[in-house]
Formats: sequence, structure tokens, C-alpha cells
Amino acid sequence: MKKRFLKKPGAGIAAVPLWMFTLVFVAGPMVYMLILSFLTRDPSWGVVNEFTLDNYAKILNPVYAGTYLSSLKLALSTTAITLVIGYPFGYFMARLSEKWKKRLMMLVVVPFWTNALVRMYGWIIIFRSNGLLDKLLMGLGVTDAPLRLLYTYPAVLVGMVYALLPFMILSVYSSVEKMDWSLVEAARDLGASKARAFWTVTAKLTLPGVLSGVILTFIPSMGLFFIADVLGGGKFMLVGNLIRDQLFSARDWPFAAALAVILTLLTTLFLWLYRKITHVRDLEGIL
Amino acid sequence: MKKWLCIALALVLCVLPLAGCGAQAEKEELIVYTWTGYIPDDVIQAFEEETGINVIYNSFETNEEMLAKLENTNGGEYDLVLASDYIIKLAGDKGLIGELDKEQIPNLKNIDPLYQGFFYDPENKLTVPYAPGIPLIVYDPSRVSCEITGYSSLWDPSLKDSIAVMDSTRVINGFALKTLGESFNTEDLDKIRQAGDKLLTLAPNIRLLSVDQTHEYLLNEEVSVALLFTSQVALALQGNPNLKVVYPTEGLGFGVDAMFVPSQAPNADNAYAFLNYILDGKVGAHISEQILYLCPNQAAYEFLPEAFADSLKITGSDIPNGEFIMDVSADAAELHNQIYTAFKAACGQ
Repeated sequence: MKKRFLKKPGAGIAAVPLWMFTLVFVAGPMVYMLILSFLTRDPSWGVVNEFTLDNYAKILNPVYAGTYLSSLKLALSTTAITLVIGYPFGYFMARLSEKWKKRLMMLVVVPFWTNALVRMYGWIIIFRSNGLLDKLLMGLGVTDAPLRLLYTYPAVLVGMVYALLPFMILSVYSSVEKMDWSLVEAARDLGASKARAFWTVTAKLTLPGVLSGVILTFIPSMGLFFIADVLGGGKFMLVGNLIRDQLFSARDWPFAAALAVILTLLTTLFLWLYRKITHVRDLEGIL
Repeated sequence: MKKWLCIALALVLCVLPLAGCGAQAEKEELIVYTWTGYIPDDVIQAFEEETGINVIYNSFETNEEMLAKLENTNGGEYDLVLASDYIIKLAGDKGLIGELDKEQIPNLKNIDPLYQGFFYDPENKLTVPYAPGIPLIVYDPSRVSCEITGYSSLWDPSLKDSIAVMDSTRVINGFALKTLGESFNTEDLDKIRQAGDKLLTLAPNIRLLSVDQTHEYLLNEEVSVALLFTSQVALALQGNPNLKVVYPTEGLGFGVDAMFVPSQAPNADNAYAFLNYILDGKVGAHISEQILYLCPNQAAYEFLPEAFADSLKITGSDIPNGEFIMDVSADAAELHNQIYTAFKAACGQ
């Protein structure tokens, strides 16, 4: 490890800020959280320095374990939908002329200029009873009463996909753009059909991009809970909601820490599985 | 050239927040700590003009956040805190609250004794009530076909997917306990478990659990029944006078947000001056008509505007019927937590 760093003279010193940052803002809080998760909650307020495994045992309670399942379900469906929409989007975007590439890129990035929570309120205006969508559908005669779309699972799913789609598009785009098209031409010259050339060459070569897209959507969607709150009317109990409730209303910090530790482990496990299944070593610059 | 312009702009942006700090350093200060916007701006401005004391408004999101901060600073740093009853009890038990210097607050006599002597301050030595309230059921009679008299009416099958409730563990579990004839603060784990089972059958009727602005959902017809805090009841009625208010027959909940001066408050005298100022009859009425909680200031009653006179005052007979939500034992708290999580998950099914 040390040798590799010393290969380039000066890299050791230049890396100090990076190490400091990682220690203070990543490793530090993680260790703190891990320690906290083994402590005992004070009945009225705060934490007592007494070792216990109760916080982890409590997670096995079906009520709490169920929140992981619903988070996982939501994260997987979100990731699958973003992939289905994002791949073709990123693919065709990479094949446009330079001018249009820039314009489209701009359109994808512009929503980031506004706070994500504010953008969710936009969806409320569209989805709510007698809102934009209801008025449109009723005006066209498709429906004759408000659809009650808000505060349902599909509404939450739309919000999640909307929030995370750009990450998928940009990851796919960057790997398609870098691709060596002569390989596809070679496959075609050797008699492969268009579909076959796509599956054997393009899909394989863009896999790292897809994978980083999957990771960039899957990880946040395991933790994003404000979307479920805002568009789901607080009815969808995800791990994120549970952790927040434990911190701010139940005042059970050790349990919240234990929930967060398990969430981190689960996410790591899933990342490892992805890499095992897809055999991709180097992800487009994120792992 | 462009680069320099960028750097210059960045520097200006960095320095901007510091501007204006220097000028006021000499002035007397009062550091208030509460939820955003809970104390009306014009009241603060008028106080500043009258006394020359500079008010610094710090805000928190939750009571729990407040107590954590107060504990970290050992009761220092803030002069006046406005928070909820149960957390005041905790802060008091930890010795973080200073005794009020009653000599400096002659207007204390204006407090309606109805709102005094509660569990968090039985001898009225520590707090000044600011916003008492009772959660009530409000519904739109034009869109509800069953009769609503109390919490148990919410289980009516005709109310499927049409109720909004506040997302608060103890309030929701509490009203389920009330339907079983129990206290909000029962330590009987079996009863809490029963309340949890009962809540699961309510889940199909819940359209949403809301953190704030619950009355809005009633007004824009997203729901036809809502469980609302006092200020929200007033706002709902303001938006639609045809809404009906129900005082649940099973028993009322009751809560008070009150002000206290932390034990190590750096400018305690200024805090007393502020308390005395807002306890004035006219100022008190002006506050209550803006925050729309019950008015705890009896000198203010005559100044309350006609429109709110009824909704901001309650009669003495309602109070004994109301019950505070207080901290329960660790086991009961854990069970509350569990049944509420299960209830929320069931609502999303």
C-alpha cells in the first residue's frame, strides 16, 4: 500500500487532505455510530455507557425487519425502472451531434439547480386531487372523478425514479460515448445481426456504465425517505423513516445507530453481489 | 480577467454574511430558541423598538433537538426557550431551567390560572405558558355520511381512505387507548398492545399521516376528516366555515408549549423583560390571534378579535377532561414505538 503511494514523488503529502477528510468525515462518524449501536438507551434521555446487543436483537422483530424489506423493494423497483428508461436515453444521447448533446445534457442537469424537496412539491401539484393531471384527464373525458393519485405507492415510485434518473442517464451516456464503435462495425462485418452486435459488443462494453448507474441509483434509494414522506403521505415505512423516528421522536439513538449499521452492511453486500454477478472490476470512476 | 472576476465574486459572497455583525455588537441581546416563526415577527420588532434590546432568533425543528443542544451548552447560550410540556419536564429534571425572577415580571398575574400548575411546573416557578392546545377532530359534513362523535367514529367503514392524522406516535396511540377507555399514559403493556391491534384495523381509513399543515389537506379536499391541533382547527374553520369540529367523547388530549429561561442564560434579565412584554394584555391578544392557539393570558381576553374569541378561549370545564401526554417507562415507550411503526407500515399496504 505504502509503496504504491510513494511511486509518484509528493503524492504522499498531496494526499494528506484527502486522508484527513476521510478520517474526520467518513471513518470518524462510522466508528461513532458503530460504538453507539452497542450502548444502552437511557429511559428518559440520552445514552448510558453499558454494552448491549439488544439494539441488534430488536431489529429481528418483524415490525422493524419489515422496513428493510420495503426499502429493498422500493430501491430495486426504482433501480429497474431508471435502468429501463435511462439506458436508451443515455445511449441515444451519446449518438447525437455535439450541439444537441450539449443541449440535452443541459436539460438533464437543470433540475439539479432546484432543491429536490421543492421538485417533489411540483409532483404534488400534478398528482393531488383536482390537480393538474386530474383536470387534464377529466377535461379530456378520460375520467369523471379525481383519481386520488397522491399518497399511493405509484406516486412514491414516480418521485424516486424522477429524482434518480439523471444519475443513470449520465452514467450510461459517458460509457456509450467512450465506446469504440469500430468494434460494433467489426461485429457487423463478420455477419452479426444488429441485435446480436448490440448484445455481444455494445451491452458488454457499456456494462461498467450501467453498473455505476445502478449503484448511483440503488444506494441513494435505499436511504431516501423524504420522497416517501412527501408523495406517500408518511404511510410508507422505510428504514430511513424508522431511523429518523428513532432519533427524533422515540429518542432511541443506539437503536437508530444499529439500524443504520445494518443498512450500511446490507448496501455493501448488494454492491459486492453486483460486482460478483457482472464481473466488472473498474466502475466508471466511482469504486 | 474572467478568472479574477470569479475570485472577486466568490470573496464577496464569503464576506457578505459577516456584514452587519460589527455595528450591533454593543447592544443588549436576547437569544430566543424555538420553532421557526412561532413568535410573530412584528411582536419581536415592537419589543426591540420599545426596549432597544436586540433579539436573536435561533430555531430548532424538534423538541428533542432543543434538549440535546441545551444539554451540550449546559443551559447556557440561550436566554429564552419555547418548547413543549413533556420536554420541559425533562429539562427541568436535568436542572437546565432557571427559576423565574417574579419581581421582574409583574405581568405574571395576567396568566389565567387554568393554564398553571401542570406536571412540568407544579409550583409555577419555571415557566410561562405560551400556546396551550387540544387536538380535535374536524370533518367536512358535505363529504361524510356517518356521524362523528369521537375517536371511535374514525373506524367507520364509510371513511375508507379519507382521514388525515398527525404523524405523532403518542397522539395516535393515545387516541386508540382512549377508545379502550384507557389513559394516554397507561403503563399496562397489554392495553398498549390492544391499542396497537386496534390501530391496525384503522389503517385502511388513513389517507395520510402529516407532520404539519394537516388542515390544508382538509381544505383542498384530499381528505374529509382530519385530526388537528388547535391552530390548525382555527385555520381550517377560517378556510371553510362549514366544517364541523368534534370534541371527542372519549376524552381530550391537552398540551402546552411554554417558555422558560435556561439555568445559565447569559442575558436572563432581558428574557424577563420579554416575558413581561408578551404577558401584556394587548400584546398577548395580538400573539394569540396570529398563532391561533388558546390564549393563556386573561388580560388579553377583552382584546381578542370577535372572529376568534370563541376558538381561542376554552371554559374551565374542558380542562379537567383533557389529559397531558407524559413520558412513560422504557418498556411502555418501546411498545408504543413498535405498535406505531406497525400501524404506519399497515397504512402503506
